[in-house]
Amino acid sequence: MRLAAESLTHRYNGRPVVDGVSLDLESGELVAVVGPNGSGKTTLLRAMSRLLKPAAGQVFLDGQEIRSLGARGVARRLAVLPQVHDGAQDLTVRELVWRGRYPHQGLLQRATAPDHEAVAWALDAADLQPLTERPLASLSGGERQRAWIALALAQQPRVLLLDEPTSFLDVQHQIEVMALLHRLNAEGMTIVAVVHDLSLAGRFMERVIGVRDGRVVFDGPPREVLQPEPLEAVFDIPMLVLEDPESGLPIPLPRYPAGMGSSSTAAPSAARGRP
Amino acid sequence: MAGLTAEAKASGSLAVGRRFPRRPLVLTGLGLFALAAIGMLTMMYGAITLSPAEALSGLTSDSDGLARPVVWQIRFPRFLDAMLVGATLAVAGAMLQGVTRNPLADPTIFGLTAAAGLASSAAIVINPQIPQWAIAMACMVGGLSGAGILFVIAYRGAVSPVRLALAGVALSAFFGAIIVALLSSSRTFLQTSLGFLAGGLYASEWNDFRSVLPYALPAFAGAFILSGRLNILSLGDDIATGLGVLADRTRLAILAIAGILTASAVAIAGLVSFVGLLSPHVARYAVGSDNRYLIPASALVGAILVSSADLVAKLVIRPSEIPMGIITAAIGAPFLLYLVKFKA
Repeated sequence: MRLAAESLTHRYNGRPVVDGVSLDLESGELVAVVGPNGSGKTTLLRAMSRLLKPAAGQVFLDGQEIRSLGARGVARRLAVLPQVHDGAQDLTVRELVWRGRYPHQGLLQRATAPDHEAVAWALDAADLQPLTERPLASLSGGERQRAWIALALAQQPRVLLLDEPTSFLDVQHQIEVMALLHRLNAEGMTIVAVVHDLSLAGRFMERVIGVRDGRVVFDGPPREVLQPEPLEAVFDIPMLVLEDPESGLPIPLPRYPAGMGSSSTAAPSAARGRP
Repeated sequence: MAGLTAEAKASGSLAVGRRFPRRPLVLTGLGLFALAAIGMLTMMYGAITLSPAEALSGLTSDSDGLARPVVWQIRFPRFLDAMLVGATLAVAGAMLQGVTRNPLADPTIFGLTAAAGLASSAAIVINPQIPQWAIAMACMVGGLSGAGILFVIAYRGAVSPVRLALAGVALSAFFGAIIVALLSSSRTFLQTSLGFLAGGLYASEWNDFRSVLPYALPAFAGAFILSGRLNILSLGDDIATGLGVLADRTRLAILAIAGILTASAVAIAGLVSFVGLLSPHVARYAVGSDNRYLIPASALVGAILVSSADLVAKLVIRPSEIPMGIITAAIGAPFLLYLVKFKA
């Protein structure tokens, strides 16, 4: 399912946060959006998922203007996981995931066979089967994040948008979430995630979009765009890009000014060159 | 390894505390039984005492010359009124607690009771001979206006639950003051006013029930239909929007329904407090926080609470009676203090 934005513009207090962005996301793409804080990534994601009505511009889902599809109509095709979601701590994982069926259910919300299948699939996909009866409050950060992703999966979306799905997670849980996104994408789901960790973006995503001041600065496969020049244009700090010796994928790092950090005296060779 | 054992322990202890699906059914059965028992006692006791057999025959046939008018014209409609007042306030409270995610929300705290009461007392002061159906209508106008004012004040780009609560407290105090001013400026019905302000079912009859039912029944249906959406809304605005629920439109609909339900109660019993606060908490203990079960369960708890409070109000200083609202306040206020200290 194709998701496209056309000349999206949005302002807060007169200041443009998203400034005439046009994007075309093909069916089955796996896309990271990167950029500094306040660059407009989140606003862009919210405008593309109907959480926010942009001041100007349009969003198309499979060629149809997203506002013409109705809130439920969009929710049956596109799921979005916003950055902050801390409600419903007393729900169990199963209860939470069942609520993802809402857009598919009728007035009285009677559960049908497809509902049961979708919930079981979402719980399986997010690897939550052992945790289904646990309340959210009792889960670890990574488990809870997977539960919220499973809520979105129960919608059986063709497009999944996520805002910083790996923030606040430790390395192991970050990998867990990214691996889940990768699996879902392999099954044909279009996935767009705002990601702060550039090495995660480089390792797991197939296309990386760099945003700064509400505009797209670079857009392409990680090997091409996660390079010092494009990254410096977005983040405004000198960057160093290493190459993962196992996968050959880029690992971008900030280049620290000389004399900063403990390693500068102990092991100056660490930052000298590529392995 | 340590992590694994900790996890096993956590899931083990939770498995013990898990609710069995049978529990809500059993508790609902018990609740209905309690309601029937209260109903039976209500038919039997009052200014005169009837035997269970007399009470039943008064309810079911015209043959018993004494029991029939007492049971059918006075006690049974009053029992229906009590159940309706309890159920409407409890459902309004459950919806307000759900929509604001605030355990202290209820129609009184949010100013809906006072808004309906203001319209009702203004109508009575303007025309003391006003028929009951017109009082009910005035209450609806008041309750809906209160809900509308609340929404407009709390809306600033989006409705925040905190602003709703703060606006409600202010409106409640403001409308409450006008009600007292209105009632004290009219010399005639001090006795009735007292019953109205404290909330009571003194002299309530079939007419009260009939005049309110056309508003209350659709509002109950609306509450039940919106209960699923209320569940989604409790996940937060963004998640709800992502699932296809328009957050603010749903909030407005819920406030409007809570306004109608509250107005129904006010039209019958005046300013009854704490029922809307207390009942959903008791119901939540029984059936959990899923609004599809919580809302009907709250209605049952509210009906039990008000009908039993009314029974006590009738009997405690027999043959005279105290306003029923005093009993619900006497139970509700300590419960609120308990919530503030230990829950909220």
